Amino acid sequence: MTTTPATATPSAPNPAKMGLREIASARSLRTIFVLLAMWTVLAVHPESRESFMTAGNFSNLTAQVSEIVIIGVGMTLVILIGGIDLSVGAGMAVAGVIAAKLQIDFHQPAWVAVLAAVAVCGTLGAWHGFLVTRFGIPPFIVTLSGFLSYRGAGLVLSDARGLSPMGEDFQKLGERLPRSISLALCAAGLVVGVALVLRRASRRKRLGLPTDGALLAGLKLGAIVLATAFCAVIYQDGVPVPVVIAAIAAAAGAIVLRRTRLGRYAFAIGGNAEAARLSGVPVARVTMSIYIAIGVLTALAGMVAAARTNGVTPGNMGITRELHVITAVVIGGTSLTGGRGTMLGTLIGALIFGTLSNGMNLMSVNSNWQLIVTGQILLGASLLDALSSKKR
Amino acid sequence: MTEMTELALELVAIDKSFGGVHALRGADLAARPGEILGLCGENGAGKSTILKILSGVYPATSYGGTVKVRGEARRFMTTRDAEHAGIAIVHQELMLVPELSVAANLVLGRENRAKKAFGGLLGLVDDDAIEASARQLLAKFGVERDIDPSAPVGILGIGLQQVVEIVRALSQDAKILILDEPTAALTGKETDRLMEWLRGLRDAGTTCIYVSHRMDEIFTICDRITVLRDGKTVGTVDAKTTSPDDVVAMMVGRTIGGKDARAIELAGDGDGKKPSAPVLELRDLSVRLPGIAIEAVDGGDDRIRAYAVEKVSLAIQPGEVVAVCGAMGSGRTALLSTIFGCAEHGYTGSIRIGGREVTLKSPRDAIAEGVALIPEDRKGRGLVLGMSVGNNLTLPPARSMVARMLEWVGFVDDEQEELLAQKRIDELRIRGTSAVEVATLSGGNQQKVVIGKWLEGAPNVLLLDEPTRGVDVGAREEIYGLLAELAKSGTAVLLASSDLPEVLRLAHRILVLRHGKVVAELDGRTATQEMIVTIATGASDVGTEAA
Repeated sequence: MTTTPATATPSAPNPAKMGLREIASARSLRTIFVLLAMWTVLAVHPESRESFMTAGNFSNLTAQVSEIVIIGVGMTLVILIGGIDLSVGAGMAVAGVIAAKLQIDFHQPAWVAVLAAVAVCGTLGAWHGFLVTRFGIPPFIVTLSGFLSYRGAGLVLSDARGLSPMGEDFQKLGERLPRSISLALCAAGLVVGVALVLRRASRRKRLGLPTDGALLAGLKLGAIVLATAFCAVIYQDGVPVPVVIAAIAAAAGAIVLRRTRLGRYAFAIGGNAEAARLSGVPVARVTMSIYIAIGVLTALAGMVAAARTNGVTPGNMGITRELHVITAVVIGGTSLTGGRGTMLGTLIGALIFGTLSNGMNLMSVNSNWQLIVTGQILLGASLLDALSSKKR
Repeated sequence: MTEMTELALELVAIDKSFGGVHALRGADLAARPGEILGLCGENGAGKSTILKILSGVYPATSYGGTVKVRGEARRFMTTRDAEHAGIAIVHQELMLVPELSVAANLVLGRENRAKKAFGGLLGLVDDDAIEASARQLLAKFGVERDIDPSAPVGILGIGLQQVVEIVRALSQDAKILILDEPTAALTGKETDRLMEWLRGLRDAGTTCIYVSHRMDEIFTICDRITVLRDGKTVGTVDAKTTSPDDVVAMMVGRTIGGKDARAIELAGDGDGKKPSAPVLELRDLSVRLPGIAIEAVDGGDDRIRAYAVEKVSLAIQPGEVVAVCGAMGSGRTALLSTIFGCAEHGYTGSIRIGGREVTLKSPRDAIAEGVALIPEDRKGRGLVLGMSVGNNLTLPPARSMVARMLEWVGFVDDEQEELLAQKRIDELRIRGTSAVEVATLSGGNQQKVVIGKWLEGAPNVLLLDEPTRGVDVGAREEIYGLLAELAKSGTAVLLASSDLPEVLRLAHRILVLRHGKVVAELDGRTATQEMIVTIATGASDVGTEAA
């Protein structure tokens, strides 16, 4: 509009100029370092070194955290827009009871059971979103009510009895894929990951946009290669289906967050809801979509849990899961006040959470102490964030 | 000044900046014991900054100059310090806790101050004693029948809440009492009682500082008047020997520059201008004030307003810049918000855009019609501060139907978005890259981002609310240039601004609002600052060039 040509002077961190120090201080990398440090300790500690660094243990660890990752994808979105969902643990139980009843009492195939559970939990999510957007009830209250009533509903529906066994098809959700398919998946992941990085770099170059420096690009490619190699090793006996579902959910979540309008709008709503509204962001619709998404993901996590244990105990299933998920999301660097967060962070946060309990079990730390340690780690992560954001 | 009595309050060479904005540059003020001193100045002249310094809201370390109370230099670090020095203030905004009772509000923070009894030490509150003293205070103001001291403040109308606020300040036995626009929500009867009480306090030796933009009140109650302009004290005059016109002249200054430096020529100004169809047309647009029930508007008393905007009609041609002027609370912001679909409880009358009647229920409706709003509160409403410059620039949804339908399935093309953001950054010469957080930019560059996000597909109607507040001179000129370009391309511009030189420079026509109504329409080429201020303050109701 003004007649003089561009004289914008770049003064801010330019990815091409990022040195090792800038890269190392990035929030998600800090969490990765914490995770790697924990793994190193467990790998050398006399009480755990023999059992921790085995393919079987890592395969188990990742299968155990898959529920947290699946719901964590939704929780990251919910917390990003400044909300919270306390009902997910109880939601898992409802989903499990519905799926189990349909299979055991009504002899329905697995796909009907899964669809029904997803539909019910998606509807509950829509209900939460409706209450939050239409009446302005705080999400804490809306989902606290769900936390109480859905647990009760699960118990009522099942007459408070354990339900098992699940159908044979359904049980496959908790098992491992054959070795050949696992390796093929790892290879596919490697190809897609490298291709995406290269395509983005070449496109940015063609459009004349600043590209990642050689160092950063090299680190990214190296990380992808290392991660796939690691997966190929730990899943040498076949990858657990829950892990595949969690990986798909995390990838989809990352794409939604970084590459869709919905994700962009979620950041805007969490950052400044009023400015977002005045910029034409459909705040109510985005909020609604996100609460539906976490409902659907909760049902999926419930399916995974029911399949892994081949049964549903409505009083226990998913109990305190909501707190585990929130812990993982917060450790992963998503701000509880909204507007800031990443899917990678949540994935790492879930792995840290899983490593804590896995490691402490191996070192036979008693479970009472495990609670204390986990609580303090959560506090430490938040304190670190508070201190670093104060500095900025 | 025959004899030099000790001053009750003196401000010497007060200097205060907010970031790049120099709000006060050597302001002086001197108030004698037992007088009512009026404080006048346009919006942005520095009145509220002075009040916040006097009440300790801005700590003494944040400004330069000296504050003297009864000859003694004081450095207020907190509002309590100011209170202890005997300064009480009636704020323009209500500072009451709506859930607490009237009585509890009247003594809030001062419960049992006099009573050092056992219960008081324990932090127990004697509700009955508080209620009894509240009853006395209310009776002194003559409102004991209108206000129940045990009722929650929140259920009272705005006017009575303001009365409670005033009674609270008056009851502190302050030596210095400051009132900031105290009558904004009062009825004529209540205003008269306030004046009576103030005169009583003055005769008992209290010093009052009375801030108002209502010239009639200033001249009714004040002994002397201090005038501020651009953060400096222009002078102090005796109310008996001065006319309202003189005070207005002091407020706006004698020099009127920039008449020839007009930024925007009306399209077709030169060649026998032919009115084309208006882009934006309002007919009898009214918006009710929230929270004022019909009952509150008692018999024929016109001082309580039921409308934020009342029967405003207006048509803007393509390329025309129309400014709305008026004092704080005159309805400028409400008018712009309504056209942007933000009127919470709806509006009456009609809004036509491009000749077609539209219903605007949300900002999304307005954006779809090509309306853009640059809000007054840049950080609170204009920007998502934690997001990058690029993401802020590309936040508004595309206006085409197809793009809106694809909004949910469509992926964001990060690279294309960044290119678009880069284009805006270059065009607007924003100092910063697309990837930095917008919070790190200076005020002027932030404002360019707020404007820049509406430039993809030039808007039909651009609403600007204080577009250059807190913006440095250089960026301001760039923004004016940008507005000129937009106007030339056929955008209709509606500007709300309290910066009168800016209004005179940009506007083809100027509407003056008072109490939500258009009281005058002036030609931008012949209007002067004096004319606008005189009409906006109601200093004189004659001599307006009413349309």
